[in-house]
Amino acid sequence: MRVRRALLFLAIVAAQFAIFEAALRTWGHSEAAPAFQGLFVPDATIGYRLQPNARTRYTTAEFETDIAINAQGVRDDRDIGPKPRGEKRIVVLGDSLVLSVQVDLRQTFCRLLEERLNRGAGPIRYRVINAGVQGYGPVEELLFYRTVARRFEPDLVIETIFVGNDAEEAVTSAPRLRADRPAALQALPDSLRIRLRRIVRRSMVLQLIRLRIVSVTDRLGTWMSPPEPPLQSYAEKPAPRIDEGLRISRDCVQAIAADAAADGARTMVMLMPARFQVDDVDYGHLRDAVDAAGGRLLRDAASERFDRALSTLPVPRFDALPALRAALPGPDVFFQQTVHLTPRGHEIVAGALADFIRQQGF
Amino acid sequence: MVFNSLHFLWFFLVVYALYRLLPAVLPVERAHRAQNWLLLVASYYFYAAWDYRFLALLAGSTIVDYTCGRILGSLQDQRVRRRVMWLSLGFNLSMLGFFKYFNFFADNLAALFAAAGWHADFVTLRVLLPIGISFYTFVTMSYVIDVYRREITPTRNLLDFAVFVAYFPHLVAGPILRATALLPQIQRPRRISREQMREGLWLIAWGFFQKIFVADNLAPLASHVFTPGAQATGVNVLLGVYAFAFQIYGDFAGYSNIARGTSKLMGIELIENFRFPYLVLTPQAFWRHWHISLSTWLRDYLYISLGGNRGGEARTRRNLLITMLLGGLWHGAAWTFVLWGLYQGVLLILYRPYESAFATMQTRGVSWLPPSGGRVLRVAAWFVMFHLTCYGWLIFRAPSLQAIGSLTASLFGHFAPRTIDVTGLLVPLLLYTVPLLVVHLVEAHADDVLVVPRLRIGVRYTIYVATLYLIFLFGNFGGSDFIYFQF
Repeated sequence: MRVRRALLFLAIVAAQFAIFEAALRTWGHSEAAPAFQGLFVPDATIGYRLQPNARTRYTTAEFETDIAINAQGVRDDRDIGPKPRGEKRIVVLGDSLVLSVQVDLRQTFCRLLEERLNRGAGPIRYRVINAGVQGYGPVEELLFYRTVARRFEPDLVIETIFVGNDAEEAVTSAPRLRADRPAALQALPDSLRIRLRRIVRRSMVLQLIRLRIVSVTDRLGTWMSPPEPPLQSYAEKPAPRIDEGLRISRDCVQAIAADAAADGARTMVMLMPARFQVDDVDYGHLRDAVDAAGGRLLRDAASERFDRALSTLPVPRFDALPALRAALPGPDVFFQQTVHLTPRGHEIVAGALADFIRQQGF
Repeated sequence: MVFNSLHFLWFFLVVYALYRLLPAVLPVERAHRAQNWLLLVASYYFYAAWDYRFLALLAGSTIVDYTCGRILGSLQDQRVRRRVMWLSLGFNLSMLGFFKYFNFFADNLAALFAAAGWHADFVTLRVLLPIGISFYTFVTMSYVIDVYRREITPTRNLLDFAVFVAYFPHLVAGPILRATALLPQIQRPRRISREQMREGLWLIAWGFFQKIFVADNLAPLASHVFTPGAQATGVNVLLGVYAFAFQIYGDFAGYSNIARGTSKLMGIELIENFRFPYLVLTPQAFWRHWHISLSTWLRDYLYISLGGNRGGEARTRRNLLITMLLGGLWHGAAWTFVLWGLYQGVLLILYRPYESAFATMQTRGVSWLPPSGGRVLRVAAWFVMFHLTCYGWLIFRAPSLQAIGSLTASLFGHFAPRTIDVTGLLVPLLLYTVPLLVVHLVEAHADDVLVVPRLRIGVRYTIYVATLYLIFLFGNFGGSDFIYFQF
């Protein structure tokens, strides 16, 4: 009797798994969706990167976009061949704020920047290449430049730092920079992990359950040890890893600048703020959350810390925060359900960045 | 410590393991006493997890009302008994008034004086609201009143009484339990049946579903409309109000179900606090199905004490209005809650003349209509009642009295149906309410809120598995607090 009940239970679990999987594949549009995950391909050096020639449609309550990755593995509807005479290339490295899956390609600040620079540029044609990849930090961006983006023959490399989490991500990803990792030891767990990840990535139900488990185990960790106030990059007294992350980020920017110089390109840095640095309501919520966790949130601390950390490098720095703040009051510059720029936010960043690039005499 | 936290999970696992272990290693009577000590310590720990300083209030309230109960039990002189009862009520109401309403009254009195041209500098205090104070003061007050009315015999055992007051499943957000229902279960050894286990686990799962899947996912939809400065058209205000109606139901009914479920696992039955409140046809029925423990408390200790429906129609109306007004104020120190209470009182008063006609229609149908016509009338009555309830939630949730005005103006003056936000409001609203309504209708059809564990095995397992999938796949795991904690 018990066996029959258990079998019945398992059959119902399996049947509903199939129903939810089918429903999610048909109507579910999230970053956990296989279609979205299909944009990425494992990479032995960087961890993962965009899958060349991948295409998908990304829909949420706030936006609906078609995403196309070109043959070279960046978000573009044109391939990148050898640089023609009279063309100047700008490669914009960064994370999801650069990739910008929330808006149409023509609405990204990279494409808008290209249009603005080409207006009245005479015989010179500018090409701005969006080399952003979801989830990257300074370490991955350096590795991406070395393995992929330097082949684009850039004249200017813009390294985009998201001040909200890049310091933390740099610490997490720093081991990737160590070239002396014993390859044989890494190969086995990596391949097993990748296989498992592939299985999980193929199922939306398993993807979502994985995300739940991660969020619960994260909370378990914070419950078992004294909880650390969130947004450490902005904390009045940040954890020691933030300083380490700033140092690693600076080293990465320095390395990108050195590699770019070797390729005959200049480098600049763009500092991208978090939404709450612009949105007062969001700031209020987060300040209260950090207060409740026993910390103190300094609204612009992360921007200032990155600016200070990078000030020792001979690389021009552009901070997008003043331009985004100056655009308010007005329509939102960030989406409400994600922390990414709206089309208006992209326009503002593109305008301010174009002015900055001209001022730098590029 | 909230039910939807890992802290509670660990807490309950440890407490429950010990609770079940005690009868296995001790003789019945000693095990029972040890279980009560365990429940008391666990409940005080549960409460201290918010703020240990307020334990003194909880303990103080327990000792005062236990003592008053003992004195009342030993006295015969009715005048002295009445004084003792008022002493206890005075203590509880002063505590509630000070912590919950002091600043509200001070601010409003100052504003009133200022409007009259006088400057009055009232002291306002930075008073923290002790969580659950509205619930446990009502529990202890009902005990003292019941003893005063000689409806129960006062307990001599302070431990039993302390557990009755502080019992953690109902301590901070109800149900508001009566001594007649809970105290006997604490006083005698408990046996936990398989049925209780099954029902308890289902209630916990269903409560989490109502909280994590329904309420927490609908919260942003409601905020979208109710956030100060939001400029929504009438149709979107309506969707936002629907979202809040199901959010507050999911939140509070979810809490009550988790409380009942955890309690069932310990062999203690708590009363049902919600019974399909959005399927009712009349205002009177709404209050018999929504927050049942509060509405019956208000009926038994306030409305009846004021005279109830004795003394003519005018007095009945007055009593209804006072009861509902104070019921509104119980929810919080804000004019929106007062207005909500007033609105509920007016609905009850307006319904009174039709009460008997409606009861006849319910039982015998409508003589001048065919049976299908009676069904149509019932659907129409349900539709009207649901929307009257929803308008009440608009008043309840609005951030200010001005916001009530502007939201009402949008609703009735600028409905603009073509501006309906399909992807942002309508679709998520349907997604998060339809599964709840399906189970709701199954339960209502059987007139049993615990019908699911009694369904055929295949149907039962299908509902169990779907509930778990929906929680895990689409639940909001942000860990937000329950709305009723603030009351």
